[in-house]
Amino acid sequence: MNPFPSCRIAASAALAWVVLASSPALAHAIVVEAVPEVGATLHAGALDVRLRFNSRIDHKRSRLALLDPVGKETPVALDANAPADVITAHIPSLGPGDYRLRWQVLALDGHITRGDIPFSVTAP
Amino acid sequence: MATLIDIFGFLSVVIRGFVLVTQSFVVGGIAFLLLTAGILREIDPASARLERHARRLLIWSALAFAISELAFVSVQCAVLMGTVELGLGEVLGADFSMAGLTLAAAGLVAAWVARAPLGASARSGLGALAVLILLGQATTSHAMARLDDRVPLAIADILHMAGAAVWIGGIPYFLLALFGSQGGIAWRRIGRRFSLMAMSAVALLLVGGGVMAVAYVGSLDALYGTAYGVMVITKVALLGGLVFLGGMNFLVVERLRRDPGTPILRLKRFAEVEIGIGLTVLFAAASLTSQPPGVDLTQDRATFTEVVDRFVPQWPVRLSSPDRTQLTTYQIEIAREEAAKTKQPLPLAYAIGSGVLPPRDPADIAWSEYNHHWAGVAVLVIGLLALGERSGLAPWARHWPLLFVGLAVFLLFRSDPEVWPLGDIGFFASFRDPEVAQHRVFVMLIAGFGIFEWCVRTGRIRSQRAALVFPLICALAGALLLTHQHALSNIKDQLLIEVTHTPLAVFGVTAGWARWLELRLDPPGNRIAGWIWPIAFVLVGTILLIYHET
Repeated sequence: MNPFPSCRIAASAALAWVVLASSPALAHAIVVEAVPEVGATLHAGALDVRLRFNSRIDHKRSRLALLDPVGKETPVALDANAPADVITAHIPSLGPGDYRLRWQVLALDGHITRGDIPFSVTAP
Repeated sequence: MATLIDIFGFLSVVIRGFVLVTQSFVVGGIAFLLLTAGILREIDPASARLERHARRLLIWSALAFAISELAFVSVQCAVLMGTVELGLGEVLGADFSMAGLTLAAAGLVAAWVARAPLGASARSGLGALAVLILLGQATTSHAMARLDDRVPLAIADILHMAGAAVWIGGIPYFLLALFGSQGGIAWRRIGRRFSLMAMSAVALLLVGGGVMAVAYVGSLDALYGTAYGVMVITKVALLGGLVFLGGMNFLVVERLRRDPGTPILRLKRFAEVEIGIGLTVLFAAASLTSQPPGVDLTQDRATFTEVVDRFVPQWPVRLSSPDRTQLTTYQIEIAREEAAKTKQPLPLAYAIGSGVLPPRDPADIAWSEYNHHWAGVAVLVIGLLALGERSGLAPWARHWPLLFVGLAVFLLFRSDPEVWPLGDIGFFASFRDPEVAQHRVFVMLIAGFGIFEWCVRTGRIRSQRAALVFPLICALAGALLLTHQHALSNIKDQLLIEVTHTPLAVFGVTAGWARWLELRLDPPGNRIAGWIWPIAFVLVGTILLIYHET
């Protein structure tokens, strides 16, 4: 005799539940301070990027890229000695136009999050 | 890979839910076996059948836990390798990989230990594995990524997980023992021991949860003004329901002490519902881990007035829709075609699943409100018809489930106008967007439970088990809605939509489990439950009808 009369239905429902009841991973690590700020307008030239997060970051497994005004994506090397919650990078030269910094970080709790920081550069 | 990252992120949260559920069943099973071993042996000295049933469930839970951990590590590694261009060795060296692989190994060892009757050393080993699993899970919790107070927060997390596991994860083992034993004395002893375990577990859960709520929410403003805070409120509300059911069961156990002849049907049925609501809470917890703690979200919080305003009805309701050509995604496509013809720079496209969200203008909001209001009309009518049928005044109203099928067709066309069948994005490509994928699941669930329930109510299906499909899928849809998020580029707008959807989800879960109890309980409990679920539908319909986004 089956000791649990509805166990098959319950197990199927539990399985379906587990598969379905979830949400998109939005963001655990969020930027709490950014240079440049979202929507900033800068003068042409070099740029020191500094993004501070609300979490400790695994720097070796995080990345930064620059999208230029025509949408071409170029990886930006991260500085190795940034504090636990910060990523920093140096971009030697930027001409006038609209740019995006695209970041993706792995927080120490295992969450991968990402985002864009749009900014503009004007002629000096 | 870039256009698939959202669906991978979605998958990782799904798997995280699996991990939490299976972990609870493993740790809860170990706790049950260790703390009730003496009682089980005394009740069932000859065959050790009760312990064998519990060990079998523990083995399957531990194997599922190991597979879930391996799946989680695999998905995360795939995303990292595809986006950061790292080798397998480098991603396997990440903290989450190391922790996940260790936990998977712990699950496999637990399954291996549980394969034979438990001696003293096996019991000690299982106890150590349960502690290792909780410690290992804490190393991938919010606590370890915090800048301050990592150790106290990790301890709070361990207490919270242990409490949830012993209580929620222990219930299936408790039910197996109840179903497998005979007589009031056996039921009383098992029930009494599990009540003590559950009460201690609730205390751990509340202490750990309380510390984390204070640390991660931080203020009253963040409690109602951030998605994290709103999810914490919802978890507390569901926990209240669980404590109520647990308290009712405690009363049955106390009555068994005085009178071994007390029937335990209600005890079993309430325990079944506790498992269901417990699963919902565990998945809400998995969803919560993907949210930034409210205390960190100092910008874009909703004010109390803005939250209250969303529940103030705006009349008349919107029963006419803007044309699809007025929607933002359609306008962007037209602008791109025009720009391509004149060789101008192309405006940014809306690439599904890329993580870049389209802007939202009044036509988009009107489209969404129209969807919600017509859905509200349908669900309100369903609730009223179900009440009419329940009262016996309108037997013809038993055809109300067919309205769910109509609602599903309506949502299939209207919920995501940029994708198939209305939009240009194909059926399979649309699944790259987790929000669209979840809407598709909603449509299937709504149509499915509508058809099933109509067949049951009209006598086309006579199986008693078939009648359980409607409450299970209804509760499932409520849980899905609870953890479903609308991807909008504006965080505050997104939160304000979640605030209105959360009560819908709680009423959905309530309706499902009330109907379950109506089918599974004896009078008078089933009669009371039979009134609760149609009223929950009326409330869902009403909230949908007053929904607005401005």
